[in-house]
Parts: sequence; structure tokens; C-alpha cells
Amino acid sequence: MKDDLLSKEYDVIVIGGGATGAGTARDCAMRGLKTILIERLDFTAGATGRNHGLLHSGARYAHTDPESAAECIKENMILKRIARHCIEETGGLFVSLPEDGLDYHEAFIADCLRAGIPAEELDPKEALRVEPSVNPEIIGAVKVPDGSVDPFRLTTANVMAARMNGADVMTYQEVTGFLKEGTRITGVKLRSRRNGEETEIRGRVTINAAGIWGHRLAELAGITLNMYPAKGSLLIFGHRINRMVLNRCRKPGDADILVPGDTICVIGTTSTRIPYDEIDNMEVTPEEVDLLLREGVKLSPQMAWTRILRAYAGVRPLVASDDDPTGRSISRGIVCLDHEKRDGVEGFITITGGKLMTYRLMAQEATDMACKKLGVERKCRTAEIPLPGSEETPDDTRRRSHIIELSTEQKAAEDRHGSLTGKIVSDDDAADALVCECEQVSVGEVNYAIEELHVHNLVNLRRRTRLGMGTCQGELCACRGAGLLERHDKCTQRSLDDLASFLDERWHGMFPVCWGETLVEIQFTSWLYEGVCGLDPTEVNVTENPTQH
Amino acid sequence: MRFDTIVIGGGLSGLVSAIECARAGQKTAVVSAGQSALHFWSGSFELLGNIDGRPVIDNPLGRLGELSEDHPYRKIGEEKLRELLGKVPGIISDAGLKCTGSLDRNHLRLTPLGFLKPAWLTLGDYVSFAADQPLPWKKVALVNIYSYLDFYPRFLEYGLKKRGVECTISNVNIPQLDTLRKSTTEMRATNMSRILTDSAVDALAAEVDKAAKGADAVIMPAILGIYSDAPVERLRNRVSVPVWFVPTTPASVPGVRCQLSLRDLFIRLGGEFLPGDTVKGGYFEKNRLRRIHTVNLGEMPLEADNFIISTGSFFGHGLIADMERIYEPVFGLDLNVTGGRTEWYRKDFYASQPYMSYGVVTDSCFRPSRKGETVENLYATGALLAGFNALKEGSGAGITLATALHAASSLT
Repeated sequence: MKDDLLSKEYDVIVIGGGATGAGTARDCAMRGLKTILIERLDFTAGATGRNHGLLHSGARYAHTDPESAAECIKENMILKRIARHCIEETGGLFVSLPEDGLDYHEAFIADCLRAGIPAEELDPKEALRVEPSVNPEIIGAVKVPDGSVDPFRLTTANVMAARMNGADVMTYQEVTGFLKEGTRITGVKLRSRRNGEETEIRGRVTINAAGIWGHRLAELAGITLNMYPAKGSLLIFGHRINRMVLNRCRKPGDADILVPGDTICVIGTTSTRIPYDEIDNMEVTPEEVDLLLREGVKLSPQMAWTRILRAYAGVRPLVASDDDPTGRSISRGIVCLDHEKRDGVEGFITITGGKLMTYRLMAQEATDMACKKLGVERKCRTAEIPLPGSEETPDDTRRRSHIIELSTEQKAAEDRHGSLTGKIVSDDDAADALVCECEQVSVGEVNYAIEELHVHNLVNLRRRTRLGMGTCQGELCACRGAGLLERHDKCTQRSLDDLASFLDERWHGMFPVCWGETLVEIQFTSWLYEGVCGLDPTEVNVTENPTQH
Repeated sequence: MRFDTIVIGGGLSGLVSAIECARAGQKTAVVSAGQSALHFWSGSFELLGNIDGRPVIDNPLGRLGELSEDHPYRKIGEEKLRELLGKVPGIISDAGLKCTGSLDRNHLRLTPLGFLKPAWLTLGDYVSFAADQPLPWKKVALVNIYSYLDFYPRFLEYGLKKRGVECTISNVNIPQLDTLRKSTTEMRATNMSRILTDSAVDALAAEVDKAAKGADAVIMPAILGIYSDAPVERLRNRVSVPVWFVPTTPASVPGVRCQLSLRDLFIRLGGEFLPGDTVKGGYFEKNRLRRIHTVNLGEMPLEADNFIISTGSFFGHGLIADMERIYEPVFGLDLNVTGGRTEWYRKDFYASQPYMSYGVVTDSCFRPSRKGETVENLYATGALLAGFNALKEGSGAGITLATALHAASSLT
């Protein structure tokens, strides 16, 4: 297959397997461009997989950044149409605590309405009735159409859509340099992170959608981008505390959003500028954990006695405005750079800034620019056509009429794969057997992910299926998953290495919150794998940096 | 209610000390909260399998000098350890289990992932080898049950091949197990073991025998004999080559078997077993524990001359960690924990984790203290104790058993 890729010349090379890159590859492919998507690790390994999973209504930005707010609500409505299997329409509340006062609250409703965001004032008593987990001390509440979005699912769906429209996709390929003819970029040099093999791929336009790593990519192309990594830390709880998204009604600050998603809920974030050389080594500090809990319990007091599953951190790719060399004026909006105009480098575009919510719009802007460079005139249709998994199927109508009774694991799979669930083999007992009991992942679902969703290791499998994301954090399913992956991979040593690395990766998110049941769980995991199973760290190769899966 | 000795904790340590007390004629009670580390037992007891990352084979008890000074083994001393641990095979056998192994030399057990690890005693039906000798087979049939996910023949094959053993892999099925498959979570070892008796074993044996063609031995997951040896004997009698077992992920069939067998032995010896109950606290008088209260018995106290606490480590809830501190929840016993939560762990999962060696500090007779004062009639045993990393040392069962027997011998 690789030889096929090499002999082609692509119209567009998209670098970066986050939501933006995947969305751009989808848009390009849908407009008939010969496209390849290249990711240095796994899809969603960067900021896409390390945020709240909040489907913003835009209300958060209504006061400070009306333009972003208007973008958000527009994209919010679009995603509810095209990505419904990735989304949960939970609704959201902006609540005011006595310490916040009501000044912001009053301006807030007007700001929302101005930006086109339906915002409805609720009496605090009514707010407590619709959302019993909220702090009973609230003095004001506003209901907005916030929701949750699963960024793993969303990205996978975009990758699949790109592929269905003829795009090629490569993961674990790191860009080591660019091919150049004069001042024009004509392709990329790649090195496989799996076997070290080096290749070159040619393309007429290259789009840098690598998030914070785009800074480095631009450097490789001889271009300076002023990017500022801002670290945001979050905590995941073992179950859902809240039904609706809870926000503090005040100027955006630390730990003021609690998002319910899937089987868990997430509090975040902090915001700290970090040096660029730390972006591959995200670790949540004890101080951040303290801050998240201290502020979080103000939103929902239950948090104080809810089990924390793990902590994680992502890096926002903030970009300094080009006209401000000091980097003080940071834009939170979408930045789409034509490097031919900006730097005299032809065939190269950077799409960055923005947020998960606006990934589709970012993809549209980048694709518009690419089309212009290629002289192609085709309209963007990504806002109208549903993503794979979100199409209306005959099953939907049947289910609505309550004729079909689904088992819990089938429901879980439906939530994850939408209308594509039919691709999961479920007609025999062996395929139905559960690998991950916490998240109800069956053998059939694991096999589907391995065969269709670019799964090479347990971390990939976790991102596609939620295997190992539940309360046991892989304790009982990691070896089952490794056993199934080995059947496909056939390299036993690599499977053992992968299993050992996966346990280390799980631990990395657990040690910042290692007390209570989390400590109980990890001690059990250690005894099970190192003890009973005899997994010997001297006989396996553990991936050194757990964020590099 | 009054007893001579009350044991808090119904795991391996608690049961063994209680058995010895009851055997000596004491009126003994065990208060057991529920499952214990035995529920994921490998089928082997380890004594001392590793020092500084190197496997220990010969004369493990001669290596005590290499352990830290306050290690439980050193508190007991080599001679006394030999005497105490020498009783273990007898106790196991009284409970109705067979095991092999010696205090003078570790053997190797085969783990579910195909690694070989030093062990002291291994149940008779489980795979173990003499160290430093070629494996006794040329060809082994690895036989799994169709759709069972907790047995890893490819990992076992990989481990055995490195030692020059050829393997065949097959899946077998019998209709008796189909009911389990109707539910997606029921194909687990302990569930199968409840079905695999009598004629179901005969049916399984016929399938296993077919899969064993041309092999010197069969290796299967540990899915037989949760209540007795009878299904295992029956299977072995009907398969033409020797059949051996490898433990599975929890719940472990040999573990449940061992726990039930020891419990039954204790009850046969006249002991009082109080299952599903948790000790809330105790009443102390002049550094002696007079009585304890449990959740189920409410206001009615349990009194005894002596007490043994064997509540385990964190996963036994013998130790509790919250955001600020680690404590022993029953009596607030003194621990060896220093520093806040960032001191409790290392970032490398496979490093020796400090929390693993946390526990109750004791005097040389394993009597713990409260606020610096030794409790004169309370003994702490097993994983609750401080000062060792049983996982890295491969010493968990040895310490558990030795300290349990030591406490019992102090009281009888």
C-alpha cells in the first residue's frame, strides 16, 4: 500500500490527526481533492483528546469575545445535525454564587441574546430542580444550549468520512522535513515511528493542522510562527455527578466548567503558559489538582466525595497576532495563514487557533484557501452532510417505535458508533463476550476497531472504544485487549510491550490523584500484572513517555 | 460474646493464625469483611523470589541478611522462620489441598502471560518447574475454552518456546457451557468451575483428549475444582496425557478454593467465622484492647484476651488513603508513612512504589502501637505490616504466613 501512496502526487497533504486535521482532510476529500492525512502519533493524541469535550453554546465567550460566541452557536447547531452520534444535548447552566454577585449575570443574558445564543433565566430553585447536583447556594442561573461532544468519536468520524471520499490516511508518521522546489513546498519527508522507515510524499498544497506542534512544523519549513502553549489541566470523575453542563457565570476562570459525558464527568480547566519544550511532557501538578477540586466543589459540592478517576492536561495552541511581535495580543479565534503571502513560501497553509467547537469551520477556511491555490471551485458541504455514524438509518425509526430491545452493551456500542454499529459482528456468543465490563466493550467491537479504525495498540483501542477508560482503568480488560490485538498483530513481544506500556500510561493519569479508591485500584493492578501475571519490566520495553502513544 | 482470641480479617493471614489458635484449643473468632487477596491468588506461595531485581533460587532463607533490618523476616530470624513455615504444607494438606515445594530451593511457576517466576509452594495441579533444568516436555497442547478471554495461549506459547517447548493451541467447547455465553459477562473462571462437575467434566475431557493428540502434556486455564479436587481428578483420569493448570485473571478458582478450604478447616476446628462484618473500632484500657465493635453486631461487643489484626493493605482496606493522609481505619494504629501524597508514589509504574511498603509499625513480636504506645494484646500480621515491598521481593505469601504463625505461636 505504501508504494501506492508514494507513486501518487496528492493535491493536498494535511498534517495533524486532531479534529481540525481530520476535518480538513474530510472537507478536501469531499471537494474532490486527492488528499492524504498524516499524523505523527494516533488521532486525537494532542489537544483534541485532552479537553472538556464541551459542546459550547458560545455563552462562555458572549461577554469577552462576541465573534467567537457567534461562531460557536452556529457550529453548535451544525454539529447537532451532522455529528449527532458524537454529541449529547445535555443543556447547560451558568450559575452565580454569592461570591460572584449578579452583575455579570445580568449583562450575560443580554450578551448571549446579542450573539444569537438562546439564554433563559431560571429561578435558582428551578435550576436546582432541573439540576439537583448544583450548589444549593446559587443566587442566579441561566439555561443555555451547551452539551457534550466526544472528541475521539468526532475525529474518527471525520477520518472515516475522508477515507470514504477517497483520502489516504497514515498514523505514526512524523514529518521530518519538507520537499522544496525553489520557494515552493512540494511535499513532506516522513519517518515512521513504528519502524523508523523513511519516506517522501509529494503534494501540491500542504496544510499544517498540527495544533501546538504546528510551531515546530513551520520551523521545518523555515517559517516563524509565534505560538504560545497554554496548558489546561482537568480531572475525570468515576461517574456523572451532573446532568447538565455547569458553568460559573463570571469572567472565564479556572475550574469553572463541569461537563457530563459518557459514563463520567470532567472538571476543568486551569490555564498556565508553559515553555515550548514541555508540550510533549504534560503532567498535572498537585497544586492544579488542589485548585480544580477547591473551585469545583463550589459548582457541585458532591465532587468532594466522588471518586476521581484520573487527571490529564492538554495544550491550547494560542497564536500571537502577526502585527504584535511581543506576543502579548493573543487571539483565541481562528487563524488561517497563507504562507505565500505572509512568508513567500508557496504551497503551504497553517490552520490553527480556534477551538474544538469550530474545527469544522477551521477546516472549511483551510480548504477554501487550498482550493483557491489549486484553482478548484467547489462549495463546502461539510455542514450539510452527516458524518459517518450520524446518518439517519431505518433502525432509528424502528427503535423509536420501541420494537427492538437492545442490550446494554449494544446500547453502549450504538452510543459510540452510531449508525455504523451494524458493522460490529454481534451474531455469535464469542463476538458478544465483553472485554471491558466497565465500558461494555465487546469482542466484536474490539475486532471492528482493529480492522477498520487504525488501531495498532491498546491506547488506540481505548480512544476508539473506551476500553480501559472506566472505573477499573484497564485493570481487568488490558490483558484481554492485548490478547485480542495479538491475534491480529501476531507479534507476541510487541503485544507484551504494548500491554506493559498501556498500564504505565494509565498510571500516568492516576498518580496525580492517587488516594482513596484510585490507590486501591492501582495496587490491585500492580499485584495482578506484576504479581500474578509476572509481567517483568526487565523483559518488556515500556514506551518511555506515556503521552507518546 | 467472649473469646480467647479474635482475628480481624479473613484472608490468608487471618485464617491461618485463627486455625493455629483454634487447633491449640482456644476459643477463636474471625471477623471477615469479604474477599481478600486470595481471590486473585496464582496458586503459588512465594517466599523470597527477588532481591534487587534478581531472581532468588537457592536457599532463600539464607539471604535474609540482604533485607532491611526491620523486615518481618529478620524480626523472626532464619531458624524460627524455618520452624514456622515448615508447618505450612501440613496446614494446607489439613485443609484438603496438595502442594509441592521446599524451603531450601525455589521452583519456577508459569504465569498466565508465559513468564517464569520463583515460587516456594505451588498447588499440585499447577505448572511448576525445577529451576535451571530443561522443561520436562517437548510438546505441549495449550487448550482453551471457546470464547473464554482470560487465558492467553499465545503468550504462554511465546514463553514456553523460549525454553524449547513446542506448542499447539486449540479451543474446545462443550454444550454445558453455552448457558454462560448467553450472558456476555459470565464466561469467567469461577462461573465455569461451578458447571464443570460430573458429566460436564467427562464431556470436556473428551474434547481435551482430542486436542492433546501428539502432545506430552496439556496446559489449561484454572477453571476446575472450586469446591474440591474431584473434577480435576476426573478430568485427569480421562485425558491420556498429564493435564496442568495455569491461573487466570480474577476471580481465581484456586484462590476461592483455598479461602473456602481454610475457612472450613477453621470451622471444623471449632472456630467462629463471622462473615460479611466489619470492625468499627475498639475499647482500650491501659494499652490493652478489651473489646471491639462491629457493624453487624452494633452495640454488642466482642471481647477477647488477645486480638490479631490482618486486614491487609490498601486493596484490603486495611489502610486508607485520603487526599491528606494515610491511616489504619480500625484502631488508628501507628504507620511508617512519611510525607504528603506526592511522596507516596513514583511516576514510573514499574518502580518500587513507596506506598507498597506502608503499613503498621510493630515491636519485635509484631505488636503494633497507638500514639507511640505498644498495644500489649494485639498482633498485626500479613500485608498490613510495614517495611517491605512484597510485590518486588516476591515475598507476600511467605510474610503473610510467617507473621500469622508467629502471632499464633505467641498466643498458644
